[in-house]
Parts: sequence; C-alpha cells; structure tokens
Amino acid sequence: MKDPRRPAVPERETSGLRPRTTGRRVVVFADADSEEPVDWARAGVRDVADSRDFADGDVPPETLRGAGATVFAALGIAVVAADEGQLRELRAGSARPVLSVSPELVHHVLPADIGTYARGYRDGVADLAGRLTSAEWPAPGAARPARFRDTEEATWGVQAVRADASGFSGRGIRVAVLDTGFDLAHADFVARAVTARSFVAGEDAQDGHGHGTHCIGTACGPAVPPAGPRYGVASDAEIFAGKVLGNEGSGTDAGILAGINWAVTSGCPVISMSLGADVVEAHPPYSAAGRRALQRGSLIIAAAGNNADRRTGDDGLVGAPANSVEIMAVGALDQGLEMAYFSARSLPERGGQVDVAAPGWEVLSAWPMPDRYRTISGTSMATPHVAGLAALWAEATGRRGLELWATLCQESERLLQPSLDAGSGLVMAPR
Amino acid sequence: MTHISVTVDDGHLSALDGVVQGLRARGMQVEQVLDGLGIITGSVPPGTLGALSGVAGVLSVDEQLRHRLAPPDAPVQ
Repeated sequence: MKDPRRPAVPERETSGLRPRTTGRRVVVFADADSEEPVDWARAGVRDVADSRDFADGDVPPETLRGAGATVFAALGIAVVAADEGQLRELRAGSARPVLSVSPELVHHVLPADIGTYARGYRDGVADLAGRLTSAEWPAPGAARPARFRDTEEATWGVQAVRADASGFSGRGIRVAVLDTGFDLAHADFVARAVTARSFVAGEDAQDGHGHGTHCIGTACGPAVPPAGPRYGVASDAEIFAGKVLGNEGSGTDAGILAGINWAVTSGCPVISMSLGADVVEAHPPYSAAGRRALQRGSLIIAAAGNNADRRTGDDGLVGAPANSVEIMAVGALDQGLEMAYFSARSLPERGGQVDVAAPGWEVLSAWPMPDRYRTISGTSMATPHVAGLAALWAEATGRRGLELWATLCQESERLLQPSLDAGSGLVMAPR
Repeated sequence: MTHISVTVDDGHLSALDGVVQGLRARGMQVEQVLDGLGIITGSVPPGTLGALSGVAGVLSVDEQLRHRLAPPDAPVQ
C-alpha cells in the first residue's frame, strides 16, 4: 500500500551513494556497564586496546589504527578488525551478548564531494525556478492535496500520528487537560476514570463551552467509540479535567496556575493546555511553572497560537504560555501535512519557538451532549494530539519530564515545512 | 485592584509562609499559595505592584494575563 506520508519526502537517487567503509566492524555489546570480560582470544583477535587502560579513557588515534580491537568500555562498543568467522565466534562464544555488528563507515565533513554539492545546488535552483513559473505552486491559502482523510475507522489526525497502529494506549498514565472543563455525561466516556475539578469561581467542572470536551476527546477518547470513527489518541489514559477557563471561554493566570499546580501534585506526567494570550515576552510565572513541573516529572504542552494569517502573509507570534522555554509549543498541520494558515510562527526571542506540530485542521472530536461530536480547527486541536502521544510514550518508555520531551522530538517525523513553523515535525505514536 | 502572580525563587520554595507574610505586610491580598510551583497569586491596589519586589524570596511580580477562546461556534478555536 502506498504510504501517504511518502510524498512529503522527495524520491532521491541513492544508487552510487554506497557509503565507504574501513573493513573493520563496529560491535555493540549488551550492558555498557557490565564487567563481564569479552573472550577476544577465543575469536582470535589480538592486540586489544581498552579505553580503561588510557588516562581519562582517551584512546590515542594511533592505537585506534593499529589495534586488533579497540574497546570503548563506557559505551559497550568495540571497533574490531576481524573476518566473518572470527565475528561468528565472538557472537557465539562471548559471555557478553552481542547486540549488533556493523561495518565501520568513513565519515566526511560535508559536503563530501563538491560535484554532488554543485549538482544539488543546480537541481535546487531549477526546482525553485520551475515552481515559481508553474501553476503547481499553490497560491497562499489555496487548497493543497490531502494525504489523509477521515474514514469510518478513524479521523485523519489519529491516522497521521499512527495512534491507531500503536500497541500502547496510555494505560496507567494521568493526562491533565486544563481548559473549559469536560462534559461529564458524555456518552463516549461513561466507563472512564475521570477526575474533574474547577478552578473558575462560581462554576463547576461541567463544560459549558465545548472546547475542553473536544480537547479531552482528542487526547484521551476511546479506541472504539460507540458511534463514529476513532478520534482519541490515548484511549486508556486516566483523565484529569481541570477547568481553568470559564463557560464563556476566558480565564486568568491564577486559575491556570492553580490547575497546573493541581496536575503536578496529582502526579500527571502530561499536562495539555490549549490556551494562550498573544504576548511576545515569555511570562515568568509560566517559565517557573514549566521548569518546576518538568523537575517533578510533568511535561506541559501548549498551543502555539492561532494568530497567524498566512493567506495574507501574517506569520503571527507564539504567545504565553507556549513561548516559555520550559513549555512545549505545538503548531497545527492540515491533511496535506502542511501548516494550517492560522498556525503561529516562531519568534526570534528565546522560548518563542514552535517545538513540534500535529493535526489541527478540521479535527473531529467529542462535543458536549446532545451534539456529541464537532469538527473544528486550531492549534488548540493539535495540542491534545501531542498530549495523547506523550501519554503513549510515557507508558511505552517510562520516561518523564525532559526525557519525555526529548523522546517526542526524537521520534517525530520530519516534514518539508520550515522548522520555524513545525519545529521537529509531526509527533508520532510508539509502535 | 490589580491581579498578580508572584514567582518565588528556588531558595525560598521550602519557606513559602515567610514570603507570604512579607507580601501581606506590603499590602498584597493573597488568594492562592501554589506550593507545587512556588507561585503566589492575589491582588494589590493599582500602582503598588513594584513594592513587592523587595520582599525576600521574590523572583518576579507579574500582572495576570487574560486568556480568551473563540466562541464555541467559531471554525478556528
């Protein structure tokens, strides 16, 4: 089956680009910290240099060149001059299990070959000229080809992040969504563990707006809703619904900070905040809250903002709280995996950058009964996709805080969108 | 009244009560002490926010922002 993601990456001629190798092998052993010796003699490998025998573990380059094997003890890796038979012996006879054996590659300072560079440059110019003069280059805001669409099984967003193909469901992970509350009587969530709390004076946690229910639906909706397609990412996550925006859709720092405090002290590894104020400067309370939340194992994920209008050349700005360095900012993608026209672009200020992107255009999710479902757009809709994915990764890896943040970025799929808009790209579910 | 958030520095996280007393002494009406974050929210009479910066343990004093969503029937939220 054709992978709808592939058109994002142009096909390249790869034949003739076989990497140069040294003839040696790089052997990776299990357990870097193990003291278990490797039986080199049995495999017939002589002149073994061990980084532990050198001052500060610093192996001189001449030793590297001459040794039969050079062992980097702290890494559990050895570079070995050995033939296939010796390598087989090493795999079979070693008390330390061998994880992998790969050819040692020759690395170059890029560009390796000025001819390749010049050809690439020529092709780039030709492509740009072609795009500028052809009708293929879409006018700003024009409809672009969709790679994903809602099906009877799942929304386009759930498919694009591969939540429907993941072996994880967020089980055992608490996900806090700080928003307009939750429709506690929603038919799709009757059997779910939900802890709801209001931080808005004079209002209970029941969602009188709809935005909060929609965001919770995307982050934590069921794997098989009783009606309609799957729209939720972390279908077994424990829901913490914090109402920090009133039924009329607004709130202040006091309620939002109270909600963050509640989520952190409740042990939620993931805190989703589809809200913001259009200010350029990072707001010190959110920076402190983000930092202290990370220290306590809670990752705050916030919407980059909807204040751009790319159709008219307005790039907008990443507002608070997403513009704090310590808080992850999420941009919105359409079904073509291109930026939605309203998705805010990074600012040069420290912290004012978009970190990742997720589906945020025509997103179907839960809405307070009796409507039950609604399709809306926004970086607010992209944010809970990432929150749900963070819950899947938290379950899959046990990672929390900054480690979880790094995992989301590492595992995101790079896009042909400027990093200013999409950061590390489309966040993906663990397999 | 001006609604504010006071961020407490790392050195005073375990001594929030003392910071709260200092803030009250300088005229702040304290509403919430968020011990998980080291942030104290409340209000002061207009124009008096600067006086709080002198309290030991205060990292910053900021006026609260208002966050507003689009109405429920808006296509972009």
